[in-house]
Amino acid sequence: MTTRALRRILVLVLMLGATLGLAGLTAAPSFAANNASLYVVQGLPGRSVDVTVDGRQVAKGVKTAAVVGPFKVKPGSRKITFSDGGTELLSRSFAVKARSSWDVVVHLPAGGSTDPTVTLFRNDTSTVPRGKAELVVAHTATVPAADVRVDGKVLFSNIANGQSLNLTVPVATYKVAITPTGKKSPVYLGPVSLTVKGGAVNRVYALGDPDKNTMNVAVHVLATGSSGSERPKKVDTGTGGEAAGAVRFLAKLTR
Amino acid sequence: MRRRPGLVPLRAGLVAGVLALTLGLAACGGAEPGAVEPAGATGPSVAGEPAAAPTDEAAPPAAVGTPASSNRVTFVPDQVVLPGGDAAPVQPATTRDGELAVPENVQHVGWWDGSAEAGDPFGNTVMAGHVDSSTDGLGFFVRLLTLEKGETVTLRGPDGHHLAYTITSVRTIKKDALATGTAAFDQTGDPHLVLITCGGTYHRGEGGYDSNVVVTARPKGLAR
Repeated sequence: MTTRALRRILVLVLMLGATLGLAGLTAAPSFAANNASLYVVQGLPGRSVDVTVDGRQVAKGVKTAAVVGPFKVKPGSRKITFSDGGTELLSRSFAVKARSSWDVVVHLPAGGSTDPTVTLFRNDTSTVPRGKAELVVAHTATVPAADVRVDGKVLFSNIANGQSLNLTVPVATYKVAITPTGKKSPVYLGPVSLTVKGGAVNRVYALGDPDKNTMNVAVHVLATGSSGSERPKKVDTGTGGEAAGAVRFLAKLTR
Repeated sequence: MRRRPGLVPLRAGLVAGVLALTLGLAACGGAEPGAVEPAGATGPSVAGEPAAAPTDEAAPPAAVGTPASSNRVTFVPDQVVLPGGDAAPVQPATTRDGELAVPENVQHVGWWDGSAEAGDPFGNTVMAGHVDSSTDGLGFFVRLLTLEKGETVTLRGPDGHHLAYTITSVRTIKKDALATGTAAFDQTGDPHLVLITCGGTYHRGEGGYDSNVVVTARPKGLAR
């Protein structure tokens, strides 16, 4: 068979799949259109986690710092259960609105407890200015309130477990380090190199326990699209000439 | 996130096709309450998993992440206040064919919609306005010609947000050097406010003024 023939078969198979998929959507249009999206962020060091939503397993063996999804769920009250090797770790309930997007993070609480907890972070998927990235740093580690140093400068200060901070930054590679609030040491994490993606929300989760040498980051990049117009080459803001006299006068004054 | 069909090898393509079929059928089968479906081929499939036990056992509520109180305030400016208190409305302005299209109304000022918001940690917040126009006389930004280093310019935004800046320079720059020879439009360096209008020598019939007057100012702390 030629490559072209193979490709044609492949396209047919995909089209068939798409057609049946569309039929499914037509049968229950409101279902798909209103779904909320869940991403699961695995913030537990040294564990491999199975994830169940409303009694259905959606992911198996999710490793530390991995992000899985999106899992589409109906709006309303949902229940998520995390287990490791058949042992249930914890269940949490939460409510989601239609078309909302969430990161569901299973992580260690602050203060050294080894009992996992779950924090939901809503994803803002509005567009980002062109050439820029939305950077969101969240604290889901055991450490007390912390500063995040970006290229040596404190850009995110005093974040506690379960909190996040967001900034719009140029697309670039940054050196990111996490330190106690107001201090340069001990360095909890890093500095690590982080290249942010433009036209996207870049969510960074600090996780783990520095005392056990398990500090790590999970990164979730969600494309949002870009907004804003290109850099101008020219600014023309005078066509009258009335100001010309004033301009000449002022030029003399400042000479 | 499904890969483009033309680029996938046959076997992967078939798998993707079969997966699409499976998902399609699952969707045809009706959506029972609480059904969970992965979107696209990236998520692990749950199609074919037997329905599990009833899920109405209560679970404690999950925590919802909050912004730390130190989260920076950033805003799209809707008003610029010059030294002496004169203020003008600010509207977003887009670049068309390489030229920043400032508001027609010479008493209004345009904020380049590709530039930094007030309070952003990087990049210049760029505004431009008419010095004058042949139909409407002098523009609001004729006032830029009299500004001096050290004076204060304030940007205001929705919800009472504001940020004051200290003027660090007032320069006259040839128009053709504005974009290439200055950092006026820079979006990667330290944040500044850059106010632009026209100046220099007026050449009737040759496109007007030959220069831009550029006022640069540094933020006094963080936006509130």
